[in-house]
Amino acid sequence: MKKIGKKIGLLSSVVLAATAVLAAPSHAASSITLVAADYDGHGATQAFWNDLAKTFQAANADIKVNVQIVNWNDINQKVATLVSTGQVPDIVNDNLYSGRAAAGLLYKVSDVLPASVVDNIIPAFLNNSTYNGVPYAVPDLASARALFYNKDILTKAGIANPPTTWAELIAAEKAIKAKVPGVYPYAIPLGPEEAQAEFAIWAGGNGGQYYTNGKWTVNSTANIKAAAFLKSQAASGYTEPHPEQCDRTKCAQALFAAGKAAFIDGAIFFPAWLKANGGSGINYGVGAFPHNEGKNAITLGVQDYFSFFNGNKNATSIGKFMSYFFQPGNYANFLKATGGFIPATKDAGAAAAKDPVLGPFIKLLPNAVFYPGTVATWGTVQGAIQQKIGGIITGSPSGVLSDIQATALKAKA
Amino acid sequence: MAINTLNHVKKKPFYQSLPWIGPAIVVIALFVLWPAIEMFTTSFRYVNQAGQIRGWTGISNYQTLFTNSDLPGVLLRTGVWVIGVVLISVLISLPLAQMLHQKFVGRRIVRYCLIVPWAASVVMTAISWRWMLDSYYGIFNRIAQDLGFINQPYAWLGSPNIAFGWLMLVAVFVSVPFTTYVIIAGLSTIPEEILEAAKVDGANDWKRYWEIIFPLLRPALLIGIVINLINVFNSFPVIWAITQGGPGSSTDTTTTMAYKIAFKTSDIGQSASLATLNFLIILVFIGLFLRVNSRNAQKNK
Repeated sequence: MKKIGKKIGLLSSVVLAATAVLAAPSHAASSITLVAADYDGHGATQAFWNDLAKTFQAANADIKVNVQIVNWNDINQKVATLVSTGQVPDIVNDNLYSGRAAAGLLYKVSDVLPASVVDNIIPAFLNNSTYNGVPYAVPDLASARALFYNKDILTKAGIANPPTTWAELIAAEKAIKAKVPGVYPYAIPLGPEEAQAEFAIWAGGNGGQYYTNGKWTVNSTANIKAAAFLKSQAASGYTEPHPEQCDRTKCAQALFAAGKAAFIDGAIFFPAWLKANGGSGINYGVGAFPHNEGKNAITLGVQDYFSFFNGNKNATSIGKFMSYFFQPGNYANFLKATGGFIPATKDAGAAAAKDPVLGPFIKLLPNAVFYPGTVATWGTVQGAIQQKIGGIITGSPSGVLSDIQATALKAKA
Repeated sequence: MAINTLNHVKKKPFYQSLPWIGPAIVVIALFVLWPAIEMFTTSFRYVNQAGQIRGWTGISNYQTLFTNSDLPGVLLRTGVWVIGVVLISVLISLPLAQMLHQKFVGRRIVRYCLIVPWAASVVMTAISWRWMLDSYYGIFNRIAQDLGFINQPYAWLGSPNIAFGWLMLVAVFVSVPFTTYVIIAGLSTIPEEILEAAKVDGANDWKRYWEIIFPLLRPALLIGIVINLINVFNSFPVIWAITQGGPGSSTDTTTTMAYKIAFKTSDIGQSASLATLNFLIILVFIGLFLRVNSRNAQKNK
């Protein structure tokens, strides 16, 4: 009995040790890892990257490409975990890069990509991909937001043209509430999923931004006024109940798809989403966001990035793979898989400008405000906005914005 | 006090027991001690947003944590959460266990039903509740509207305090089965003869419960309470799946707050300091557990 016990003891220790060895990551010199966000959620992004890796490997037998697709909710966290546990990826496709650049984790774009590829990127997008003025990321695609309105509801409420100013908006909302019962005039999602975008649009409509001229301005007077306006919107019953708990996809977009909301902030891919999620019968129009009197109409431009990690010294392989990715045919497939975004390359952009769906959004871009993605601490601030901005509805707008501003000022890269 | 029976056994050298306890020690060292030490050291380090360790920072992570304006509310809520959920679970479980201890037709089936919330994945349970409570599509609103209790959809998770109440209710729902089973186990150790004797002596049901059953149930009950304290304190999925602790931190406990600080605002150092604080609180609970356990062991001698 005793002997058996000893053997079991030894065996368990050996098994444990073996597991520990097996679990250690292995990096062959010719293998690169891509961690990419899942744009569509239905397998198209995954299929695209798998195919691209396969055809690339067929032509470059010495380079193996590992593809990991991660959903948007988890990707930033996944990348941070990979870095902190020493399993540094080579290429990451998500919405952050400057914090990584500040930490010295990234290659400069010029160290990885040939000039011919970089020159084909639309300059405005490339300029949003710099750290200390040097490009540390390349845009993969971009999107813009626009006001979507339900034409049938507006007709029922007797509204001929969608509102262009906040005063007109309130008048329209009053009419909708009075004449079309059961409909929430404006679906405003301030739940954590995408609250930083929603608030950026309303703040922008009042001339405010998160970051202005090199300084955080989350609690600027313009932003506080915009927040107070949102609070009054909710209090007057012009929004869905409890905007602070309403996430973009499952709540706001679902309400619009069900014909229960007259206005919504929609991204460029929203029409495709509507079709796929039971909203194909919605008779919608697209226009500019209403803005405060005396301010300019704006849109929110959002771009995502490829960032290239230097931890595995795979610059050459990364460059080859990315050049292959940006070949027009492959890039067109990427745009198709991700579901109708604005292209980041000049040649694809020129074609998209003539597209009936993309064209209007591309025209909005010159008036676009972008997130301060070039600031190294943007990731932290974005997280704080997503978690806390809903508080402007339930609490004090200036208090909440000042709290986020304090987080922004304290954040270290 | 009873004499410790182990004293009668001749003690053997420590190393002879190693083959027996060795694997357990290895597992504990790898999966408990090492992470705890990493957590503790990380709480004194500066970890940048990208996840790199950038040297020591003394107690600055703790300073950031204790000046975090969300912390007082979250601590208070954690107290309400732990005490409230455990207390209500026990108050429901005591009579429930008493009932399930009786012999009646279909007892087995009722006992099986009670296991379901315990056996089901907590995340699954929590997500089901979230959708039941959903203000637009939830079954609660549907039923309440069909029955005419309310005219228009009600946001059950609307105000933070009410949402927190629902979270506690779901947590109670998840903890009741375990608590009840611990009490049933305790009830089955009470000899029938004692109860019969009390009956012969003329004690009524109420008196028998409080004078005989309840005191004999105490060991089982105490263990149930302490294990629940630990489980409920650490409970992450219920809160995360239903409200994510939001809006802001208005339905956070220290556990969800530590997660958010680490992964939403990318401050690993501050999160580690909160995790260390959590760890200290858990140590107090574990100390309680060990004391209760050893007291029970002595009584049983």
